[in-house]
Order: sequence, then C-alpha cells, then structure tokens
Amino acid sequence: MNRMELQKRIFAYSAVIPVVLIFAFLRVVPIFQNFLYSFFNSTVVDPMQEFIGIENYKELFKDNLFLLSLKNTTLFALFVTVFSVGLALLVAVLLATKTALGGLFETLYFLPVITPMVPVAVVWKWIYDPTYGLLNYCLSLFGIKPLGWLVYPDLAIWAIIIMSVWKVIGYNMIIFLVGIRDIPDSYIEAATIDGGNKFQVFRFIILPLLRPILLFVTIISTINAYNVFTQVFIMTSGPQGAPGNAVRTLVFDIYENAFRYFKTGYAASEAVVLFLIVLLLTLVQLRTGGKER
Amino acid sequence: MKRTLKWTAVITIVVLLVPSLVMAGGGKETKTAGPVKLSLWGGFPEMEAFYKYAAEEYRKSHPNVEFTILTHPLREFEQKLSATVPSNTAADIIEISMYANQKFIEAGLIPELPAKVKDYFLAPNRFSDFVKKNNTYKDKLYGLPIFQGRTALFWNKKMFQEAGFSGPPKTLTEMAQFAKKLAKYDANGNLIRSGHSLRLSGQGSGVAEKFWFVLYPMGGSILEESKEKGKYHAGYNNDAGRRALKYYIDALYVDKWDSHAIKHDADAFELELTAMFFRESWVIGDIAKKAPNLSYDTAPVPADVRWGRITNPVNLYVTRSCKNPDAAWDFAMFLNEEKNLVWLLDNVGWLPVRQDINLDSVLAKKPQFKAFVMSDPKYEEFGYTVIAVFDEIMTKLAERLVAAYLDKSLANNPSGIAKVIQDAANETNEILKRAKLYGE
Repeated sequence: MNRMELQKRIFAYSAVIPVVLIFAFLRVVPIFQNFLYSFFNSTVVDPMQEFIGIENYKELFKDNLFLLSLKNTTLFALFVTVFSVGLALLVAVLLATKTALGGLFETLYFLPVITPMVPVAVVWKWIYDPTYGLLNYCLSLFGIKPLGWLVYPDLAIWAIIIMSVWKVIGYNMIIFLVGIRDIPDSYIEAATIDGGNKFQVFRFIILPLLRPILLFVTIISTINAYNVFTQVFIMTSGPQGAPGNAVRTLVFDIYENAFRYFKTGYAASEAVVLFLIVLLLTLVQLRTGGKER
Repeated sequence: MKRTLKWTAVITIVVLLVPSLVMAGGGKETKTAGPVKLSLWGGFPEMEAFYKYAAEEYRKSHPNVEFTILTHPLREFEQKLSATVPSNTAADIIEISMYANQKFIEAGLIPELPAKVKDYFLAPNRFSDFVKKNNTYKDKLYGLPIFQGRTALFWNKKMFQEAGFSGPPKTLTEMAQFAKKLAKYDANGNLIRSGHSLRLSGQGSGVAEKFWFVLYPMGGSILEESKEKGKYHAGYNNDAGRRALKYYIDALYVDKWDSHAIKHDADAFELELTAMFFRESWVIGDIAKKAPNLSYDTAPVPADVRWGRITNPVNLYVTRSCKNPDAAWDFAMFLNEEKNLVWLLDNVGWLPVRQDINLDSVLAKKPQFKAFVMSDPKYEEFGYTVIAVFDEIMTKLAERLVAAYLDKSLANNPSGIAKVIQDAANETNEILKRAKLYGE
C-alpha cells in the first residue's frame, strides 16, 4: 500500500468511524441491551435485578393483554399496509398524468404526512366525537344514527385504521409517483401501440417495473404499522377516549409495562418479540418480492 | 530611587490584593444573594396559572429567584417523570400524588422531608391525620401537600327543577331514580341527555377510580388490608362489588339513563348534556370559564350502606437532583401560605389540603365549593393505597370495567356480573402476590 493509498484509507475511516460509533451507541447497543434485559426481572433503578432466564417469554404467552395486543397490532398492520399501499398506488397512477391541478392534488395528499401525529390524532378524536363529531353529522344526513366510533371495540380499531391510512397515504403516493414517472414513456407508448388498454398497461408494464418500489413501500409500511403508538395513546385518553384494550397495540403494551408499571424486563421481552415479527415479515416480503422479480 | 520603586511595588501589590481578599472573604454572601434558578413541573395544566402567580409574589421578597414552570396532562407527565426521576434530570420541584410517586420513593429516588418542612407539616391541625398517613412511608414523611382531589356530585338546578326535584339525591338508590327521570330521548328513542354521566371509557386508572365512588358507599373498596399489616387483597369481590357493577350495567342497558354514544364528563355537564356527574372541585373553575351561566350546584356523594368520598392529596416534592433544595422547600412552603391557597381555590378551583385556613371569602362568592369542604363525622374519607403496584391494579381493573360496560349480556345477568368481578379480583390478587403484598 503506497502512502497516497494509506492517506485515502485514513481519511475514509476517520470519516466513517465516528458515524458508525454513534450509530452503534444509539442503535445497536440498546438493541443488544434490550435482548439482555429481557432475561431479567427488573425494577426502576436496577434493570438487571435478578436473572430469570426465559421466564418473561413464558409469561408473555400466558398474558391475555399481550396476546390481545399482538392480535390487534397484526390486524392493524395488515389493513393499514394493504389499504395505504393499495390506495396510494391508485392515487399515484391517477396523478401520474401531468394535469393543470396535479401539483395541487399532490400537495393535498401529502399534507397529512407533514402534519405531526399528535394534533392529527386530536383532530380525528373530534371528528369521531359521538355527539358533535363531523363524521356522525355527515352520517346523520343519510339517516344513520350516531355511533360511538371510539367507544365500541368493533368500531374503535377501524376508526384508528382509517385515520392511520389517511395519514400515511401521501407518503406512499409520492414514492410511487416518482417510480411511475421514472418509467420511460417509450415502454408505455409501445404497449399502447400494440393495443393495450389502460388497465393492461398498468398490469403488464407499470406494475412489474414498480415491483422494487412496491416492495420497499410494503416493507416500510409494515414496519411502521407494527410500531403504531401515538394515535392509540391519544385516542384512548380522556373520558371520551377509546377503550384501551379494544385498540391495545404492542408498543402501547410495551409502554404501559415499561413506563407505568416499571416491568422493564418484561417490556424488553415484548420488544424482542416485536422485533422478531417485523424481521420475519421483512424477510418473507424480501424473499417473495425478490423471487418474482 | 530604588527605595521609591520598592514602595511603589508594595503599594501596587496591596492595591491589587485587597479587593481580591475582600471578594474572596465575601464569596459566601455573594453566592447566597446570587441568582437561584428553580424549575417546577406539574401534571395539572390548570395549576400553571397558580404557580406563575405565586412565583411572581415570591419574587417580590426573593428577586434573585428565577422560575421555570411547566405543566403537562397527567398521563404524559407521569411518563415524563418515569424517564427523568431515575436519571436525575427531573425538575427541582415536582407536583404529583403520593400513589403515583410511590415507585420512586420505594426505589430511594425521592428524598424525605427535611426537618424544617417536617415540623411545618406536623404543626397541630394543619393537615388531617388521613393526609399524614397518606404521606408516610416506612415512618418517614414525603411530599408537602398542596391541593387535593375530593369528589362531589355536580347537579344541574334547572333540569332538577323541571323534573320536579327539590334537591340533589341523598342515596345511590335515589340517584338512579332521579337519573332515570332526568334522562331525555329523541323521537327514535336515542338518549340525547344522560341522567347521570358515568365514566365508561378511556385509558388509565380513571374508570376504576370513578367505579370506586359507587363501590365505596356500597361497602366495598379496591383493596382491603389483611390481618397482617402491610398486606392486602381485592376488596371488591363481594356483594358491594357486584352491586356497583350492576349499578353501571342497569344504567346502560336496563334503565338506559346513560349511553356510550353520548358526550360524557365535564364537557357534557357544561353543554347541558347530562343532569349530574361526579367530579373534583376543579370543574367549578372550568365552568366559570366555559359555561358561566350554567345553573348548578354541588352536593356530597350520596350514601348507601355507608357514606364517603375519595380524597387524593397532591404533593410537592423536591428532587434529589435539585441544586438549591432549601430555596425549593422555601417556595413550596410559600405556596402553602393562606393567601396563596385562597387564590388557588378562587381562581383555579382546586381545593387546598391545609385545614387550618379560612376559605369563607371564596365560599361566599362560590357556594358550590361547600360540598367539597364540608365535613361530617359520618362522611368518611378514603384514598389510594400507597403501594407501588396500586396504579397497575387500578389500570387493569379499569380495562376490565371498560370491557364489562360494553357487554350488553351482563344486563339482568347476576352470574355474568359475578364472573367479571371474580376475574378482576383474581388479577388484582395476582399483582399483589407478585409484589409480595398479598394477604388473606
């Protein structure tokens, strides 16, 4: 290795190492620490008070609240991912053709993404209000009687799914839009000349070429959906809030065990299960998406 | 010449040294009189006005003290404390109930009261025995009480008059009868005004606390102390617990004077969407702001086999990370001065804990406070059991109650109600066993 090469390497490492160290300190170390804590009984001052092996994990699968959270989160993630990806793709296809008002619509769809989750959740709580809510008012125009959107368990989870899909659709749409606009016009023109209608162009040209982006959006949406917390926390608070268990999700359960009851070891084991689920789903998506490619 | 130079040097040294020595000698005084910064965090946003008012008053005699006051909604505040108290990054003074702070106290993260504040706390007749017991852990006193959550019944005078009632209900049975008559329905039979707004939903322990308001007069409680001191078991797996749950279920599905699909709590009362509800005194201040023309009054919680109200004192604690604990405690005691507490009741609506002060000037202007300050030997006070797992017990019971209130099949179903109560009590007892606090 000559002097020049050595200098280059020193420069490269000195640029990269601080970032890697910060990342390791802030991200990798806490993940390993979390794994470690999951094998301990813990208190507020001593996260490793007593080694209990896999007791926390055994307890998890006997805990009805954890199982309920797992079920609710999976339901939430499934529907939010399917609807937010599906609708975002539809909107992106519609907006891909450049029109006079296209920019305005893109902005309108993207606005919820840049609005912070807390005020958004508060506003939706008002929309769902049983007495003065906008949604019940609109439904009353069609003769539908008022519904306790956030109160009845069957409705509460759907109310939060609707709000979450609305919030994320713009983000997915922009990514799809970039992908669609990146497809060379010549491909679409060729398909049209060959007699393909709009659906066929979408099905056989746009969709296959969008597959890597579709995979990326699906993975990101799944990860985000499994980590749902803020909207659940806001919408279940106060006397008009949703019943906690009806919309209890994994991160909410982790929060409650860690920061309300200080069962940090137990909460750590829940976080490990969440991590493994998301990891597994990501691998499955990568594998299936990759194969078809 | 040399001599002149020598003297010049000596004088120069003396001139330079004297101010330095004076400054060094006066260092202590400078430090005391120098700026002192105090931060205060609270979990009741409406209290911010009080702390700011009091801070300004305090600064008139202590201009060197600067304050940073921050309040948050209670649940977010509890979360903030969870992250900051163990890491020594909380404010100098925190305002929180004893039960919510207990986990930190048991972990040794909150200092006990210093001797001077302890003497102030224990002054004859200043605080009730209930409060003294509430703030004691292992024979040590923690936290200086500032205000308290006491419950009373708010009732709408206009609605009662229209329904032909001359005054508020005196018993729980009467309360249900009144509520049935006060409820209003639209042409399709949908409830549009509840007779009594019950707490039916929402996260946290609030639902269980409100259930307790009915449970206690019926003879039950959340926890009962066992024969062995310091050990407990569920106090609601009994006739009182079943009757209290039936009271709610009947209200929703049998007599239908309350419903999930209608507005609840203070908002409902202020909008005249309910005729009655239970709440603490802060609602009086809230009504003054939001519905000043509302015709209402308050009354003691109705009785059943016994008579009682919940009392939940909120305290000021100086944290172990506070750099000026003497100044912080001095301010905490200043907040407890009579003139400040009168201001608190008059302007914010929270009830002071001190019982040796004269609140007549406020009561004359706002008679609705009378139900909160009234005392009667038969009117018992009950409160949160000061153990670290009490919040978990309440929150988990609340979740079960929320689910039960949504279960229509519990109407006219005594065995279903008994099962809900039994299952909830089993969970409560399991939590106590895990914490090694269970006793038969």
